[in-house]
Amino acid sequence: MPNPRKPDGSVVTTCAYCGVGCGFKAETIRGEIVRMIPWKEGKANHGHACVKGRFAFDYWRHADRVKKPLIRASIAEPWREVTWDHAITHAAAELKRIQAKHGRGSAGAVSSSRCTNEEIYLMQKFARVALRNNNIDNCSRICHSPTQFGLSATLGAGAACQHFDSILQADVILVVGANPTEGHPVFGSLLKRRVRQGASLLVIDPRRTETAESAHCRADVHLALRPGTNVAVLDSLAHVIVTENLHAAKFIAERCHPAEFEQWRALVGDPRYAPEVVGPEAGVDPAEIRRAARIYASGPNSTIYYGLGVTEHSQGSTGVMCLGNLALSCGMLGREGVGVNPLRGQGNVQGGSCLGSWPHMFTGYRFVTDAAVRATFEQDWKLELDPEPGLRLPNMFDAAVAGTFKAIYIQGEDPVQSDPNQNHIVAAMKAMECVIVQDLFLNETAKYAHVFLPGSSSLEKNGTFTNAERRVSMVRKVVPPLAGLEDWEITVRLTNAMGYPLHYDHPAQILDEIARLSPAYQGMSFALIERCGSVQWPCNPQAPEGTEVLHTKTFPRGKANFMLTGYVPTSERTDERFPLLLTTGRILSQYNVGTQTRRTGNVAWYGEDVLDVHRTDADARGIQDGDFVTVTSRYGETRLRARISDKVNPGVVYTTFHFAQSNANAVTSDLNDWATNCPEYKVTAVELVKVPTGKPASSRTPASVRA
Amino acid sequence: MWSELRNLREGVDLGTPPRDGAAVSLTVDGKPVTAPAGSSVMVAAALARCPVPKLCATDTLEAFGSCRMCLVEIQGRKGFPAACTTLVEPGMVVTTQTARLQELRKGVLELYLSDFPAGDVPGGWSELHETMQQTGVTTHPYVAGENHLQAAVDASNPYFLFDPTKCIVCSRCVRACEDIQGTFALTIEGRGFQSKVVASQGECFLDSECVSCGACVQACPTHSLVEKSLFEGGEYRAQSPQA
Repeated sequence: MPNPRKPDGSVVTTCAYCGVGCGFKAETIRGEIVRMIPWKEGKANHGHACVKGRFAFDYWRHADRVKKPLIRASIAEPWREVTWDHAITHAAAELKRIQAKHGRGSAGAVSSSRCTNEEIYLMQKFARVALRNNNIDNCSRICHSPTQFGLSATLGAGAACQHFDSILQADVILVVGANPTEGHPVFGSLLKRRVRQGASLLVIDPRRTETAESAHCRADVHLALRPGTNVAVLDSLAHVIVTENLHAAKFIAERCHPAEFEQWRALVGDPRYAPEVVGPEAGVDPAEIRRAARIYASGPNSTIYYGLGVTEHSQGSTGVMCLGNLALSCGMLGREGVGVNPLRGQGNVQGGSCLGSWPHMFTGYRFVTDAAVRATFEQDWKLELDPEPGLRLPNMFDAAVAGTFKAIYIQGEDPVQSDPNQNHIVAAMKAMECVIVQDLFLNETAKYAHVFLPGSSSLEKNGTFTNAERRVSMVRKVVPPLAGLEDWEITVRLTNAMGYPLHYDHPAQILDEIARLSPAYQGMSFALIERCGSVQWPCNPQAPEGTEVLHTKTFPRGKANFMLTGYVPTSERTDERFPLLLTTGRILSQYNVGTQTRRTGNVAWYGEDVLDVHRTDADARGIQDGDFVTVTSRYGETRLRARISDKVNPGVVYTTFHFAQSNANAVTSDLNDWATNCPEYKVTAVELVKVPTGKPASSRTPASVRA
Repeated sequence: MWSELRNLREGVDLGTPPRDGAAVSLTVDGKPVTAPAGSSVMVAAALARCPVPKLCATDTLEAFGSCRMCLVEIQGRKGFPAACTTLVEPGMVVTTQTARLQELRKGVLELYLSDFPAGDVPGGWSELHETMQQTGVTTHPYVAGENHLQAAVDASNPYFLFDPTKCIVCSRCVRACEDIQGTFALTIEGRGFQSKVVASQGECFLDSECVSCGACVQACPTHSLVEKSLFEGGEYRAQSPQA
């Protein structure tokens, strides 16, 4: 090969993909992006990267990108290209018309965790000042809302306790319902490094994931539990800890409410949570539950990392509380190498959570019903605000089907593909009079939209992302926005067109406003982040350059709380008609609903969603490796290619949801977390039927599928 | 703490990982310098702004000591220790530039160049090219002998290619795959002149256990592993899901 061309420019920015938030140097030749190089000074990645951030960036200039605003009177009509002014004026007029006719509460908005902090903040401001209601929600509703709820309830802050590097001080690493080597690969590499150095690894996951077993990294204990039994198994770990007196009495006395501990101890100490009782129910060896509990309690530094395998359950919030309780009981909080840490799916889920994009909360997790809090926003925004909490995302869809919710402004999200019980979401979309979608591509949801506002990728805008370790990093513009506007500019225009005057010269001014109105972001500014490279909240006069480890001396509420976490099995059950449990997840080379990664070379590794089936279940149904099968649940059906796999236990099947064609969410249930409505994606009772050969299951050319 | 991760600096390659031990004072080329205990002589030389030529060393990986470019002289020691594998000691007196050292480095580099595509010596910007500039060695005196110049390029990965003709078997890719990524997909197969970098059991990159994290590409000092997007027209075009 000849010598490669040498880049002549570079811009340091933050990866658009997962919650690790790697620093990258986008290198250019004559202004064209030619490669992404992991930034050596990135504090989340230290010069490492994965196949998504490092290579899969060409989606930004894919032919499918929409470069002009589009409108149409009904979804039966073709799209019509219009100017920005026309589209914005039209969208605002529609929203105003609908609110005048159906009431102020008939419109709402959804923000995206792929957008910047500044853009998410503006979306909730839009709902509150332009729609004049609190109908604003964010996509963490369907992934990590139980984290915010469960960790706030126990520890007082709905965020990761540690920074990523802290894992290098851990002696025991407990991973629950997460597969970091695929979902959060750069952190996964750090975890593996620590395991190679000798840390014990405990994995609780229905699947034999790569995290549980790979070259030179094997879990000391892997509890391959039946989907839906997290809370029972976590309570059982706690049972071992309290009945074998492995708890940290001194920590509990000093940092918790002893009476609460006693109540909790009485609950989890009950014989019904003994491993010998829970084990058979959850499909795991009781002795292994005991062993895992003893290893965790022995530390000396034990840390917990968890993902959507904990949250996306009918007891998702309870599962998160179990983890908080577990760490409290063993005193595994407030120093390096310990803590409870959610692994966030999208790049800015933590930001989405912090910045008031909730129907019941302003920035900094403060309630809209609190008159004093509301007053500070009313003063700053010079407007009276609605004191009533708004609709949650699933309630917006329910209300749309019921006919009371008529308009929605969706920023960078694709609920039709990503939200559970697809048939219900489609019905909701069809029932609305004005669906405004702001995205890079005409996604599945755009099929039901009336206004399409072409957004900008993170390579085309300035702003900040907050990663899974509360780290706020710079997103910098490498190329101009393809459609002319950065997403925050679109929201500013729409807000103005709705009659509320809004003006910012630069996203730095929006972050200043966030800092002014949010205690945890109090000290943040573009200047500070430029100087420090990145800053972890809380950032305030006591911690002018941010905070790496939370809860070192006290908890936000002073003492932490033990929450009662009784196990209530999900009502989603197997029976003769639906004898298998379907659980869903991700793969390394693809990202979420795939709108970005499907438009890159990453399809070379994974060109379609496949269904992992254990040989026992496959044999019983005459299914062979590579056969197409119909997957039927109580909610719907879809077709997937089956792969015989020993990564799942008999009785469990697994698939990903990266490809729209596979409609994985056509079968998932609309059951959800009791506290936050986070959908129960991880447990659906299904049955498989082999599609007779010779009958093509899909028009797609079968791509190679790699194990 | 974590200095091997946190003290890395963009645009600076200390050669071996930064350490955070107590300060050790020594002299490099007559200049007094302090380096944290546990640092290599290579780090001390870099801190003294007397960088030692290197090929198999980079500060994201532990020292390996295979390329023999970083040989130095240390007062009171026999021979020519490798700066990457020798740790700093108080009062050490290090010399990085002497006629004898230049002669040794020239000999090493000429051997590398005897099995490197001559047409790609001019116009390159890899670390190997930088080292050629640093030492002033761009040619070799050898007649054509056994070589790897006909080895086939592996372009199976959508994003990067492996051109074995430019490989100097420094193991940086293998070590990056093991130590940084933790996948262990790459290895050196064979011994001596036959040794070569292979993925998994000699499969192409795409079919191997490689997860395409790019750590090997980042670590490669010769552009033997290099992004396809850096070649005019050879860019990998994104694929539509329906394509």
